[in-house]
Amino acid sequence: MDKAILTLDKGSLCSAWNYSGQRLAAGSVDGTVSIYDSEDPASSNFTRTFRFKVQETSILKVVWVPPEYGDAVACISADGILTLWEEVVNDSGPPQWKFCKSFDRNSSQVLDIQFGVSTTSLKLVAAFSDGHVKVFELLDPFEMTNWQLQAEFLNVIESTSKFSSASCSSASISWNPQRGEISQSSFVLGFNSDIPQLNSSKVWEFDQDHQRWLPVAELASPEEKGDQVFVVAWSPNIGRPYEVIAVATLKGISIWHVGSNPDPDGRLSVERVALLSGHGGEVWEMEWDVSGMTLATSGRDGVVRVWQSNLSGTWHQQALLEPTS
Amino acid sequence: MPGVTSESGDPTTSIIQLSQNPQPVTYPVHHGLKPPLSRLSISWARGNTLRVTVLRQPQQPEDGDEESGGRVVEVKLSNNGDGEVDDAHWRRIAYGSVTPFALLQSRKNSFSALSKMSPLDSTEWLQYVMEYSKEINSLLGNPNSSPSLAIEDSRELLKDAERPTALKAAWELMEVFYADKQSEAWIPERLLDWLADYDCLFSGTQLTVHSKLVDFQKELATLQAVEDDPKYWEAISSALAIGWLDVVVKLLRLHGSYQFDQLGSRETENGLVEAVAVLISKMPRMRPDLEADKLGECYKNKPDFMKAWERWRAQITKLDSSAFWLQCERHQTRDGLKNMLQIMLGNSTSLSSATFHWLELFVAHFLYIRPFTVGLESMYNLAQKCIQIKPTFVHHKLMGLLIGILGENPEVVLAECSSSFGPWMMTHASELLTAGSIQADILLHEERPKLGGICIEELNRLVYAQVLSSHVLTWQIAPIYLSSCTRQGMGLLETVLHKQPVQHDQVLLKSIEICRLYELDSVSTNIMKISGMHDWKHGKKGSGVFWLQQARDEVRLVKIAKQLFDFVGKSVSDESFKQWEGLLELLGSESGSAGGLDFLNKYRDFRRSLHQAYSGMTNDAARKAAEALISLMKSPSTPQRFWLPILYDSLQLFNWPEHPLLNVSQTNLLLNKLQELSMARLRPDFVDADLPPEALASVRLAIATNLGRAILDE
Repeated sequence: MDKAILTLDKGSLCSAWNYSGQRLAAGSVDGTVSIYDSEDPASSNFTRTFRFKVQETSILKVVWVPPEYGDAVACISADGILTLWEEVVNDSGPPQWKFCKSFDRNSSQVLDIQFGVSTTSLKLVAAFSDGHVKVFELLDPFEMTNWQLQAEFLNVIESTSKFSSASCSSASISWNPQRGEISQSSFVLGFNSDIPQLNSSKVWEFDQDHQRWLPVAELASPEEKGDQVFVVAWSPNIGRPYEVIAVATLKGISIWHVGSNPDPDGRLSVERVALLSGHGGEVWEMEWDVSGMTLATSGRDGVVRVWQSNLSGTWHQQALLEPTS
Repeated sequence: MPGVTSESGDPTTSIIQLSQNPQPVTYPVHHGLKPPLSRLSISWARGNTLRVTVLRQPQQPEDGDEESGGRVVEVKLSNNGDGEVDDAHWRRIAYGSVTPFALLQSRKNSFSALSKMSPLDSTEWLQYVMEYSKEINSLLGNPNSSPSLAIEDSRELLKDAERPTALKAAWELMEVFYADKQSEAWIPERLLDWLADYDCLFSGTQLTVHSKLVDFQKELATLQAVEDDPKYWEAISSALAIGWLDVVVKLLRLHGSYQFDQLGSRETENGLVEAVAVLISKMPRMRPDLEADKLGECYKNKPDFMKAWERWRAQITKLDSSAFWLQCERHQTRDGLKNMLQIMLGNSTSLSSATFHWLELFVAHFLYIRPFTVGLESMYNLAQKCIQIKPTFVHHKLMGLLIGILGENPEVVLAECSSSFGPWMMTHASELLTAGSIQADILLHEERPKLGGICIEELNRLVYAQVLSSHVLTWQIAPIYLSSCTRQGMGLLETVLHKQPVQHDQVLLKSIEICRLYELDSVSTNIMKISGMHDWKHGKKGSGVFWLQQARDEVRLVKIAKQLFDFVGKSVSDESFKQWEGLLELLGSESGSAGGLDFLNKYRDFRRSLHQAYSGMTNDAARKAAEALISLMKSPSTPQRFWLPILYDSLQLFNWPEHPLLNVSQTNLLLNKLQELSMARLRPDFVDADLPPEALASVRLAIATNLGRAILDE
């Protein structure tokens, strides 16, 4: 039932599949990124087709740009620099990976980024080590170099919150996977930092009328608001009347139901329907399947766990994937 | 994907039993890397395939020959039963079930459109379900009857048939109880036939009549006087107990007393054997017909059957008390035959010792003790009694299924289908269940808020569609199942389509076709946009423009037009313009909405005619070029910065030797444009064309000359 489909180069630190699972990008300790491809969609035999130098330091994270904007990746290096690279063909030669853009970052480091796609624009959210969140917008779909800073804010509910300079070790962003509506543009973001107010996961929604991002929900119980967040994952919604978001903290993985109708204050109702424990510590990654009904997670205990809800709405571990040599 | 339960085989882990959850299934991920590992990365691939990237810690001092830094392992989380059906066969089943499923859905839809009454009440509907069931059943394997008589070899008891699958057995069981209402009156006989086909499936975990016969058949070849071997009589009575009459008679005819040299001395013994054989072959059966090589006499209605049954039993009793037994010297024959009579008379001890598991005993009871057992409740009670007598210690999926059916417990039936046979069965067997049981109908169609408002039937179809979309050869049939899901089907279909690798032409075209079929315009637009961007950025500019046009992506088309503009603006007299002509051709057809493209088209026409005019120097071509020029200059979509280059290119037209090509009003138009241009030059945002400094002056002079000649002409 398990089948090895690809072997990564020595020194690989991170990997990411593109939207269709046909290409893999892997970042390496030597600052290079490798691209692996298969011949045709039926084949599950992948080989390396490109390798390009991105930075002098290690590449910690690679994220594919949504396919509506071509084949491009964003890379975060160990020194917190965010760069964009794109595959293009110039003058009928072979395809090449070309540098597009390096984002300014002052003294802080980029911790996580995610792209959000709507019918008209491409947005990029970046979380920085000083607790700041920046939203950039691509101005021209053909010019990966041309990004405009749309907003900058802190991941706090009260914008008047005051605290000394933050030091964040990681952050996690997940866009609402719903396509289409621009007005519904929203994402969830949580930090792993030394400032309690920053940590808890908040759902940010773009307010078209006032052209600004507003926190519409906080996914943490009152006593857990300061808990550091490892990963967040927004589930695809194929027809539920509510949204489902998974948030992993040291206490476990919480499954939240988020209502779709805001109250007079503009807040969405939230309900934690499950707290799943299993990884016994840091959770590394979480990903929802296409139906949004199954969550896969990996963590420091070195296994992958697959979670589902039964018919009565009780979440349980459905499968365990154990690496073995 | 709830409902994909473990293969734990525990009958209590019903998906419906709300308080319990199955134990997690463990899947190994064989990566073959040397430790230490640093991280696991996960990503869902097609359907419910999970890809796990196992990364090693980089730069270990002891590395040496280890060349790889990680491995990606793909794990399929589908549950297709216990692997008795291989992947290729599963795909054949999957493809084969599409048509019957779709037909049944469309019939259901027209049914509910025509009448408000539930299809459950209609015999016509049941016919449709039965038709569906038969078609699906035929996909699951050849109809076989393993313990049939082999005529060719008198010593071969059981045909060496292809081993049937539990999948088919389960389907037929549900067909018998839920779909086939016509044979409701003779369900016991149908169960008997069913067990005859599938008794071998129970051999894996316990002794069965089938395994007993198989063993005996091996010995048969070496036996001389079979009747002296107790195993011979054991085999006969076992086969008799569960109604394999043809096998019994065949075995009886192997009795030594039939041999020519024996007939004289064993006449009475042979007579008794033959008498029993005749009685067996005349056994009354409550069923409409029998296969050609099967024994017994069929009765369709109960009174006739009852009379025959009484008569038959009277004959047995008579034979049992006959004086001939005293003359039979061979005690093995006597005891063996007497035991057979006891079985036929329904002696429960004899039946119990002749059978091996409760299902066999169950069938034996139907045959010889309670041939009129009808109704699920009495069958269930009988089954419970048989289970008490012959308890099983290993859970068997088919037994679990039958108990669920007899107990009128659709939850158990569904749980058994789910855990033992997987999503295909869940999806397709629902139709049988809902047709045959009101409880099941309610259970499957009740909307569940905890599932986001869908019912179990829809959930099953979603899960199955996800399994289908896991494979490159089956994803195309997933939409048929999704389209039957009223709430979340289209949502899942959209997500599945969004994940198709559309840079491959076949996948692209198939995806668009599916979008068209299910009216998913926004999805197909997006797919075409992705394809267009991919092609454009990978040097296939024409194809890129084509797909962006199909997607009606104004934003991107305008950007492309602008790129062309910039190019054209820079090298208006350049030969490389030819490279862009094809592209403009493509852009041309639907350019109306994108203003830039409209201009580029006119510009191309102008360039062509200008080229013809200058190369041939014919009046006709020159006139056409002049017309193109005027059309271009009149068009509001022609950007101002192109005016001067266009006019400069047309210098020769203004000084055409034969006669002026432009009339007065046309020339005035050009002069006005020139005037406007001179004004615009004063504005700071004016973009100056890359032309010689005297260009404007020479154009003005040429147009003025043309004006003069035109006035003279007129």
